[in-house]
Amino acid sequence: MKFAHLIAASILVGTLAMPAASFAADKPVVGLVMKSLANEFFKNMLEGAKAHEAKRGDYTLKAVGMQSETDVETQINAIESFITQKVDAIVVAPSDSRALVPPIKRAVDAGITVVNFDVALDDKAKEEAGLKLAFVGPDNREGAKMAGDALAKKLGAGAKVVIIEGNPGADNAAQRKLGFMDSVAAGKLDLLDSRTAHWETEEANTVFSNMLTAHPDIQGVMAANDSMVLGVVKAIEAAGKTGKIEVVGFDNIPAVQPLLKEKKLLATVDQFGQQMAANAIDKALGVVAGGKPLEGWVKTEIKLVTSDDVK
Amino acid sequence: MDTTDLTTAPAGSRTIATTTKTVLREAGIGIALIALIIVFSFTPHFLSSSNVTNILTQVTINLVLSIGMTFVILIGGIDLSVGSVLSFCAVVAGTVMTLPGLDPVMAVFLATISAILAGIGFGLLNGLISAYWAIPSFIVTLGTLNIARGAALQVTNASTIYSFPAAFNAFGSKTFYGIPLLFLIALVLVAIGWFVLAKTVFGRVLYGIGNNEEAARLAGHNVFFYKVAAFTICGVLVGIGAIIYMARLNIASPIIGIGFELNAIAAVIIGGTSLSGGRGSIVGTLLGACIIGVLANGLILLGLSDFMRQMITGFVIILAVILDKYRERLTKA
Repeated sequence: MKFAHLIAASILVGTLAMPAASFAADKPVVGLVMKSLANEFFKNMLEGAKAHEAKRGDYTLKAVGMQSETDVETQINAIESFITQKVDAIVVAPSDSRALVPPIKRAVDAGITVVNFDVALDDKAKEEAGLKLAFVGPDNREGAKMAGDALAKKLGAGAKVVIIEGNPGADNAAQRKLGFMDSVAAGKLDLLDSRTAHWETEEANTVFSNMLTAHPDIQGVMAANDSMVLGVVKAIEAAGKTGKIEVVGFDNIPAVQPLLKEKKLLATVDQFGQQMAANAIDKALGVVAGGKPLEGWVKTEIKLVTSDDVK
Repeated sequence: MDTTDLTTAPAGSRTIATTTKTVLREAGIGIALIALIIVFSFTPHFLSSSNVTNILTQVTINLVLSIGMTFVILIGGIDLSVGSVLSFCAVVAGTVMTLPGLDPVMAVFLATISAILAGIGFGLLNGLISAYWAIPSFIVTLGTLNIARGAALQVTNASTIYSFPAAFNAFGSKTFYGIPLLFLIALVLVAIGWFVLAKTVFGRVLYGIGNNEEAARLAGHNVFFYKVAAFTICGVLVGIGAIIYMARLNIASPIIGIGFELNAIAAVIIGGTSLSGGRGSIVGTLLGACIIGVLANGLILLGLSDFMRQMITGFVIILAVILDKYRERLTKA
């Protein structure tokens, strides 16, 4: 029924959109609240959403991004302005899993369909606010475990490894670390050290060089994102240990494609960020069109990427 | 003000007393660095040749930025934009370096020139605006910090630039008897900076402006020119820093360099340069940058947690400034 509705809607739009712009007001309006657009990952996600809007053509997209990763206020203001504008749906990637709960609750109370994607809102904060909301997103812990398992399989039990963590306090950083720890336990790896490099290339280069000095026998590295992989691989090259230390990462950014090809990076994880916002919008529109409300955790696709996947 | 006489003093005529003070000041920072090295030398691997290479590599970018920052702080200014400008210079250079159809040598050459020009552009902007309208450079550079970051994002559409010529990438990790080539470049810049500040009239006038701007003006110096020059020199060094970053890490991206300005300011201040201007030296800055680098490296080798490491770095900055106060009193007496 939902599908039929969509087809009906697209036929309607297809026939009417061209001559009469005024009909655009009849299309559902989706407010998209993104994280920092200075981050390539979110910028691509936004472009994916815009392409999706053009392709579907049966809704209007209003997107808001932030100046920086921690700019919580911009997100709160954006949600409040979407409530005022009486949009049909809000799709939000929260920059803070607690601070965003009250404004989202107000949006839900105002009768707006809200979909939480990318980073899950805090369960306890939701409960306290009396908010019931599903989460659409990848399982970062599972993804990190896939990468970690690939490393464990390559190196074998007892191999000496280190973890390069993301920002302390960030939920995805915490989940990815847990996933790596799962692999350490399952693969019986010997974890020598685990430190943050705040998602950054230069800091990862410095931190890993110093770890390598303290533990010259490191055999494997699990980095919580690919920007840090770039710094780690350069540190391995500088130490003349290329081929002796295996690295796994997360995000599958364009800059690591050459490294995958040259086998300087064993594996990374793709969580299909470009489609993530678009998927969440599809889910929101489904509910707006009268579909069943979302429940629990709607997991999105993640995939392990190795040199075999690079042409 | 014990050094207003420097405003008008030609190069080379510094009194013995002043020279002694400078030497004492730098010796104090040197002793702090040596003490730090001795403490860390008890941890295994710290004094290994490969670790020394690491520390020097890790110090290089901050050192280059700190040289420029010293010029700006000496005239009583501050440059908060260096991290963002470094990122802008890097993406401009990265774009040039990856232009199709350029031969590698030409690509690297043009990229270096364009990074330095981009740095000069922002340096001029900082200097001209703060000197012409007499706006505190703290505010002006806070503005250019955002302009440069935004411009870097705009130019690249927030994407990372990679795949530089192989020789350029290899150059970034080359060492000469265990000393990274990039660090040697930084040392040459230190030597030039030292010469300009300590041995030329131009340098002495910068000190004079930092001590007493009005006196410098009354002595007939074109204060506007000197101020713009200090910020422009800082811009040149940021451009060079951007190329060094690219050589070391083989990427250029609009999100690199966040917070680099704070590290550079810390190196300058730990190195004994006064935030109010007029007092300090490049040698001090070199030692200050080394203290930060040794500390960051040594604390990881010690196995301290990330959070403890951050706290200790903060304590050391404050300690350095307090020590400086005592040194000031000693050398005045």
